[in-house]
Amino acid sequence: MDVDLLKKLATIACEAAISGGAEFADVGAWTMRNLAVDIRANAVESCDASRVGSISVRAIYRGGTGWSSTDKMDEESAVEAGKKAASLAKLAEPDPDFISLVAPAESYPEVPGLADPAIETMDIRSIIKYAIENIDSALAVSSEAIVEGGFSAHYDASALVNSLGVSLGKKSSHIGGYTMVVIRRGDDVGSFYDFDSARVLEDFAPDGIGARAAQQALKFLGARKIETQRMPIILGPLAASSVFSSIVRNVDAENVQRGRSFMAGKVGEKIASEIITITDDPLIPRGLASRPWDGEGAPSKPLIVVEDGILKTYLYSSYTAGKAKVATTGHGTRSGNAVPSNIVPKLGNMTSEEIIRSTPRGLYINMGGISPDGTTGDVSSTVDFGFAIENGELAYPVASTMIGGNFLDMLKNIDAISSDYREEPGTIMPTVRIQDVLVAGGG
Amino acid sequence: MKDILQSICDKAKQRGASFADARVYESEYTSIMRQDGRADKLSQGTSRGLGIRVLKDHAWGFACVSDFDRDRAFEALDAAISMAEASAIRSEEAVVAEIEGVRDEVHAKVQIDPRSVGVEKKMTRLESYEQAAMKVADDKLSNSVINYSDSVRRETVCNTMGTLITEETIRTFLSTVITVKDGKLLQKSRARVGEPIGFELLEKTSSEEFTVKAAKTALSLLSASPPPAGKFPVVFHPSITGLLTHEAFGHNAEADHVLAGTSIIAGKLGEQIASELVTIIDDSTIPHKWGSYKYDSEGTPGKRRILVEHGVLKAYMHSLETAAKLGVSPNGSARAQDYSSRPIIRMSNTFIAPGESTFEELIHGIDKGIYLKGGEYGYVMCERGQFTCHAGEAFMIRNGEIAEHLRDVSVAGLTLETLMNIDAVANDFEMKMPGFCGKNGQSMYVDNGGPHVRVRELVVGGRA
Repeated sequence: MDVDLLKKLATIACEAAISGGAEFADVGAWTMRNLAVDIRANAVESCDASRVGSISVRAIYRGGTGWSSTDKMDEESAVEAGKKAASLAKLAEPDPDFISLVAPAESYPEVPGLADPAIETMDIRSIIKYAIENIDSALAVSSEAIVEGGFSAHYDASALVNSLGVSLGKKSSHIGGYTMVVIRRGDDVGSFYDFDSARVLEDFAPDGIGARAAQQALKFLGARKIETQRMPIILGPLAASSVFSSIVRNVDAENVQRGRSFMAGKVGEKIASEIITITDDPLIPRGLASRPWDGEGAPSKPLIVVEDGILKTYLYSSYTAGKAKVATTGHGTRSGNAVPSNIVPKLGNMTSEEIIRSTPRGLYINMGGISPDGTTGDVSSTVDFGFAIENGELAYPVASTMIGGNFLDMLKNIDAISSDYREEPGTIMPTVRIQDVLVAGGG
Repeated sequence: MKDILQSICDKAKQRGASFADARVYESEYTSIMRQDGRADKLSQGTSRGLGIRVLKDHAWGFACVSDFDRDRAFEALDAAISMAEASAIRSEEAVVAEIEGVRDEVHAKVQIDPRSVGVEKKMTRLESYEQAAMKVADDKLSNSVINYSDSVRRETVCNTMGTLITEETIRTFLSTVITVKDGKLLQKSRARVGEPIGFELLEKTSSEEFTVKAAKTALSLLSASPPPAGKFPVVFHPSITGLLTHEAFGHNAEADHVLAGTSIIAGKLGEQIASELVTIIDDSTIPHKWGSYKYDSEGTPGKRRILVEHGVLKAYMHSLETAAKLGVSPNGSARAQDYSSRPIIRMSNTFIAPGESTFEELIHGIDKGIYLKGGEYGYVMCERGQFTCHAGEAFMIRNGEIAEHLRDVSVAGLTLETLMNIDAVANDFEMKMPGFCGKNGQSMYVDNGGPHVRVRELVVGGRA
């Protein structure tokens, strides 16, 4: 279904909500096509083709919200969804904190490379080729490799219309793949994962995903337990991104205003080591999380979230911005919570190798990382993929190891960010070191 | 509609499929969110779509469409066949077990159909839950959230072996998060109840066992201490026993993992894999349990599956495909989230059977250990058998007695080592963890539980 048709359906639903008594309404309508290849036991488990769509209406009456959704993409269903949302909005209890939905902007930024027609017309056989090549590249590294994974190509068209005059439409594409390789020697098991992801075909680099996962999986054989003690931890690129994303995800104004966030009252305060600067940048061409407008139709723009360790702002939607009497930062969604875009950390001076070499004893985390509780900031996480560091080198993989502490304490103890990084479109992932973390071991 | 499904299956056979199934999934839901004194978010919606699976030349293809008519349904069949033909380039030699086709129509049996109850009445009940919590938390309350949802789902399964089944399920679910504060210190607690029943769930669920319980726990956590880090003897509350059973063991007993070589209990049927005190069952036939159903998404009747008996591995959970490959009968464990997903092997209600010890006997004899309570979530790295379980609260055990209160904590361990290290199983039992298990991007209704159990030693991810 093309964007104009989706806009038409969304407009019909929006008008139905207003004529049904809603004071404000916005409507999202989308259709998507997805082709996927699933890999299991070194073979293709299944090829899947999906064609689905949906219309969802948010209607607001005295601040109360009514929602209705349908996956029937016709005018009659659009009207019905609009009316249903309006009648629910009138039943909902009023919310005096609601001010307004987003008004249309004079202009919206152009972000190149978010939809690639080559992905829209892609054939399942090209996707299978990626899958088979990566099964084979893993097997070339080790004949013991057991490969699981998936490759997929996604294309969607969407429209966003609201009762204040926002009327937007866009197309979007995504191609990606991953492999998880398992190497089993009796009861000793090593495993690891690798992936690649892109918005345009030209950026997609599927070569070697299987081989790299297999090489890493071999290194995870022979895991040992370590003693409980405080030590520095080094988070590799796939783990350190959890630190940056945990900061940005936990500064959603909705959770702060609702009194359930450990980031409450922290704007203007030092929340992290001064080497931490993070920008949320939705305008990076071809970026995985790039977008010209947010989920409510507010234009996107780059935002410095943390500068030299100081929290500069929360992420706002139309509702939370209205409540705080500030402008939306363009992170709204129609379902309420703020969503970051591309998270870009400032790089440091040491290479990742120098960071490891200058750590005589510690713990290296390859993947996973840190996910604090959003209310308390407490961390109690398992190190699913990690190595003990001895004499500045990755010595052996660890088992039954956990890290604990408070996220804000950990952020203040970050003393190194690498100058080198792994890159996926729009995202850079450096290595990070945190001093003095409590590591619990089973040894 | 059923005639379309039948013609799709017939056509698939004519076009060379050795097996095919067509599933229509229809659902409608209502949800209400009450927060900080207002039910200001109400939602209703419907969904309907078709998923077609084709097995051709030992390769699987799948296609799905929303909003379908006869033409779009046959287009989806064309897509599914071409997907199977593509899979055949490097397929895993897929087969399915031969079964007797089943024809049945199952209607949900509930006392009060949620569709017959007005939204206002539902809102009024939520208000009383919230007020009770507000009264308890008083000026320490920072945020209260109560979510209500009811859903009616109809899944129709038609396959080339003669199965034609429609099963209707009505489910009602309540969850709450109560956040309290003392100065700058925030603590929270959650509670949830859910059953495949109607509005009677709200009539039989008191505030005391729902929001008040959460508020009281959250308040008590304000004065609790951070847990210690390291290796400790651990006693699990039934909610954590359930998480352990589901995460650490259950996922490894799904036969798709076994066949793929990513389960740590592959090839161990008949072997002692757990302490002889441990019997593990997955049972989709228990009335009114969140994870129960009559037929799975392949049309196979659900069953009580004894997976581990006195520590010996007895069985895996199967789909039609894994049963055929391992030469056993299917046991009705393949479920799909909706029309847009293929049926995959899922747990239903998974638990450890009660033992003979009393709770006092479990903690007796522990000099310094931890009693984990309030199971929240968990996950497993299946292939390595490394699991994590998160508890909302805990207590120190000192000199054989429950001592100081501890805040939320996670524990991690290796599945086989932990199952062998279970050295006492209590004679109590609770299964009240209705929730949603994620696997391969699909979310599915499950419950889990068991008695209190003691594990000789486990790693605690403490903060002190």
